Amino acid sequence: MLKEQIEQHLLEVQRPSRYCGGEVGQIVKDKSGVDVRFAFCFPDIYDVGMSHLGMKILYSLINERENYWCERVFAPWPDMEAVMQREGIPLYALESMDPVGEFDFIGFTLQYEMSYTTILHMLAMADVPVLQSERGEAIAPLVVAGGPCCCNPEPLADFFDLFILGEGEEINLELMDLYKEMRDQGATRSEFLRAAAKLPGIYVPSLYDVTYNADGTVQSVTPRDGAPAVITKRVMTDMDKSYYPSQVVVPFIEIVHDRVSVEVLRGCIRGCRFCQAGFLYRPFREKSVDVICEQGKALCTNSGYDELSLSSLSTSDHSRIEGVLDQLLEYTAERHINLSLPSLRIDNFSKSVLDKVTTIRKSGLTFAPEAGTQRLRDVINKNVTEDEVMRTCRIAFEGGYTQVKLYFMMGLPTETDEDIIGIADLAQKVVNLFYDMPDRAKGKLQVSISTATFVPKPFTPFEFEPQAEKSEILRKQDVLRRAIKSKKIKASMHISDVSQMEAVLARGDRRLGAVLYDVWKDGGRLDSWDEFFKAERWYAAFEKNGLDPAFYANRTRPYDEVMPWDHIDYMVSKAFLIRENERAHQGIPTPSCREHCGGCGANKCLGRPCFPGGES
Amino acid sequence: MKDYRIAFEKTGLMRYISHLDLNRCMIRAIRRSGLPAWYTEGFHPHMYLMFPLALSLGAESVCEAMDIRLTEEVPEEEILSRLNAALPEGLRATDVREPKHATIDIGSAAYTVTLAGEDLPALWEAFLAQPEILVEKKTKKGMKTVDIRPQILCEAAEATADGVCLTLRLPAGNDGSLNVSVVTDALAAFAQRPILVRNVCRITIFCRNGEVFS
Repeated sequence: MLKEQIEQHLLEVQRPSRYCGGEVGQIVKDKSGVDVRFAFCFPDIYDVGMSHLGMKILYSLINERENYWCERVFAPWPDMEAVMQREGIPLYALESMDPVGEFDFIGFTLQYEMSYTTILHMLAMADVPVLQSERGEAIAPLVVAGGPCCCNPEPLADFFDLFILGEGEEINLELMDLYKEMRDQGATRSEFLRAAAKLPGIYVPSLYDVTYNADGTVQSVTPRDGAPAVITKRVMTDMDKSYYPSQVVVPFIEIVHDRVSVEVLRGCIRGCRFCQAGFLYRPFREKSVDVICEQGKALCTNSGYDELSLSSLSTSDHSRIEGVLDQLLEYTAERHINLSLPSLRIDNFSKSVLDKVTTIRKSGLTFAPEAGTQRLRDVINKNVTEDEVMRTCRIAFEGGYTQVKLYFMMGLPTETDEDIIGIADLAQKVVNLFYDMPDRAKGKLQVSISTATFVPKPFTPFEFEPQAEKSEILRKQDVLRRAIKSKKIKASMHISDVSQMEAVLARGDRRLGAVLYDVWKDGGRLDSWDEFFKAERWYAAFEKNGLDPAFYANRTRPYDEVMPWDHIDYMVSKAFLIRENERAHQGIPTPSCREHCGGCGANKCLGRPCFPGGES
Repeated sequence: MKDYRIAFEKTGLMRYISHLDLNRCMIRAIRRSGLPAWYTEGFHPHMYLMFPLALSLGAESVCEAMDIRLTEEVPEEEILSRLNAALPEGLRATDVREPKHATIDIGSAAYTVTLAGEDLPALWEAFLAQPEILVEKKTKKGMKTVDIRPQILCEAAEATADGVCLTLRLPAGNDGSLNVSVVTDALAAFAQRPILVRNVCRITIFCRNGEVFS
């Protein structure tokens, strides 16, 4: 038995409980009563994957169906991978410890581009053909994927049977129902895929032919066999009625986000032009106060966790956030539960919200002005003014905070050295503010600046923009370093070739499948980990396939270029993205959706304006 | 406020849970159980929870102890049933009582150790017959050579189909513990070949005066 074989070697590896399941909340079923088995694969290690909210939702959702069984699969850390390779142990699921290759569905979540090579490796570890074309006509296992990177799945088209676009609460079950029906009738893989392509939100890449222009850009994407010309993402229109779990798998080891979280809203009203999530998850939908509180309490009671997080892209944009906090704090305070709000916005961060949060826990504050000058913040539509930064920091300092983290991006469209120096100036003003306060908190002030390289992403107004070259980023970092005068300011500036590869894969086309394949063949995996990413491996694979990373990452794309993902509809129209791109170059900010509807088109799934009085 | 000592088993998959993870797991189990746990006062209140003797990763046990403090008296059967309803498979509370001994009273622990390999009963006999068994031990001041032979009390050695099942009593507690793995590693070094350790299970914790710790 695989289970005994695995257990025999667990003491040879770090953190063995990553690999044996058995946690409170895990769901084990009797195989004889199960019709369809789904292996939910997270293409990273347990500690990272177990923190992922989407997996928690879909795991519980699928398992609510008595005859369906969803299990968890993670990538092993290299120590365990070596053991598995040596002992001939295939990739297995944690609940049953059965090989992943025996499942009906092998479902990956695409959270970030740099996980792609890990997907290929996990398939190989499962003894499943990595290339879709080599999987034959047996209907199972089907290799499927969901998650945000499905908005441009083209670089992965060679490896997947199908992609699930948008929110999975309904479509996952519809897909499994269709599978059960067709499998029981003896359908082949291609028969099933042709039928699945007709389900709204399902994209079967093998049913589309892509042609290219002489300059390497996409010429056309043509569907075959009745597949739709445009595939539209799925959306849950009523968040109060949308499935949410009341229990999670409670890990033994400490994971990255070691807490239960209740999702308070989906979408974002802000429209920061660099932020892919802000457009992908539109339209904006809130849960009601009572539903949030009920779900949060149930999760705490059932899991035993002592930290509850209110999660979303911008939790303080919930129209009744103070009501949520009042009701939840009453519950959490007497039960020794920390309430955390990981995504507060600088501009609507009120004193009363801060007071409520600090009743429970006081730590450093993190803000993301993203750009150093007001001009550039207007360009990227990060509608935060310097006054607001200062006001919030003052509140924070008065509240006893002494550590402020400021996040910025480098290489943004239209950026000049003045904007870079502005980063240092802003941090300096925060330092000055602290020392000008007579009643400042005791303790050492530390202002940390952290800069990341801007990566243009599909379905954002910046999808047309080039990424800055590495040499230019290095020069800008130097400019920033020289502009910092105070010892209270600490700057951490990461640069690596990873962000160029991320930019390539984010806006790449199908030809990148060969690159991914070669990188993986050459040993590439866990590329999102600095210690495993090897730039040379990637550049060699590009060269071998006659492709240039700069073509994908560092080129301005005209508005009328056919993007590799143009046949995929995330409900935000290209006309809107072009409009927003033009406004960016004119330095005109766009108000939040709540103030004024920008007409992105995402409300079409609601059949009403997102906010009363808005466009419909 | 009342203190309780809970005896529990840690078996099966739970032997892969480290001491730190066990601590977190128990805190969550007590929270799920709804027992009125007492929290420390102060800026960062935490649940009062104490393990008199840690167990190494990889070992099973049928005699673990955990001290908890409740804000009010709760019938012992109720503590047992509520806790067991909240524990994962492999952790099972077997007894609840008022602590009799103090942690510092602990002096030794007994283990069953199942080993597999050729000629094991004879090898074990020869191993024990050595006048001294020197092992390198990490201390605060660096590596130190110690003779562990006097610390090993072998209460039984029964041949099995493919090896031997030992019952060992080894020092444990404040004055220093001897880990079973140190003994099995020394045995492997003596045999000049790897020894397959099938299972290690702690069966009793003893006080220095010979009483069973409870």
